[in-house]
Amino acid sequence: MGKVARQVVEQAGVNVDVLLDKLVRAAGAEFTTFYYYTILRVNAIGFDGEGLKEIIEDARIEDRNHFEALTPRIYELGGALPRDIRQLADVAGCPDAYLPANPRDMSAMLNVLVEAERCAVRTYTEICNLTFGKDHRTYDLALAILHEEVEHEAWFSEYLSEGPSGHFRRGSPGTSPYVRRFMSADIG
Amino acid sequence: MPFQKLGRADEIPPGKTKFVCAGEAPVILANWEGRIYALHGICPHQHNPLEGAVLWDHLLDCPWHHFMYDVRTGQNHFPKNVFPPDVPLAQQQVGPLATYAVRVEDGDVWVDLG
Repeated sequence: MGKVARQVVEQAGVNVDVLLDKLVRAAGAEFTTFYYYTILRVNAIGFDGEGLKEIIEDARIEDRNHFEALTPRIYELGGALPRDIRQLADVAGCPDAYLPANPRDMSAMLNVLVEAERCAVRTYTEICNLTFGKDHRTYDLALAILHEEVEHEAWFSEYLSEGPSGHFRRGSPGTSPYVRRFMSADIG
Repeated sequence: MPFQKLGRADEIPPGKTKFVCAGEAPVILANWEGRIYALHGICPHQHNPLEGAVLWDHLLDCPWHHFMYDVRTGQNHFPKNVFPPDVPLAQQQVGPLATYAVRVEDGDVWVDLG
């Protein structure tokens, strides 16, 4: 824990316990989404599914990256991840992204994906609103994650023909162009 | 049970919510497009209070796990719209919120808690 790191956030008017609860829930949602997206990616097959597979993989790896990036901040502020992974799944801040009943229905799968991303966009917008101008480090991290979640939503929305995303695919799977700088343990 | 006064309409501007307790009954009031709706104040998913819930159009967004309910009917919208019907554990989570009749008189919000 960073004693002063927490104190400055408290003195800026942020309820750190509330913030930590939101960060742990967000981390739980990233971890469970990584798990569920693994199942969705495995099932993205056939004429429609193969095209979807790569962007599911980008989103899957980047969600794992978000978990990795959130965790140090939770501990810096004096929080902790639940000791029991079942508890982490229970507190996860977004619903489970289940494989649809018909796993060959790519439209149903896309709806699962886009709704999961919309939940994430709401989650990080809320954390940004809570920390803006008060907790600069958490805000910077949450904003970086928000950038990626917004892109994920746009990718899946584009596949549902809701409108163009304006993006092109990542150069390599799960590059995390915004969050990467927070993954200090992964940078050699 | 007769209607109970739970607040003032001007405390809940359009697009906003207010969490109140009528005795021991938690209620969430929501103003969507100028009309006030009243729903049970506990999310049926994990039985957490809906205090701080946000409105997205007509959908009430639970602050704990982002389950979303239609303020007009109390029905779960998300994740019911994507939860598979063949996973019983998933289906158990997406029950509706009870809704209550609302009357606004002289700026006061009256709710029939039934």
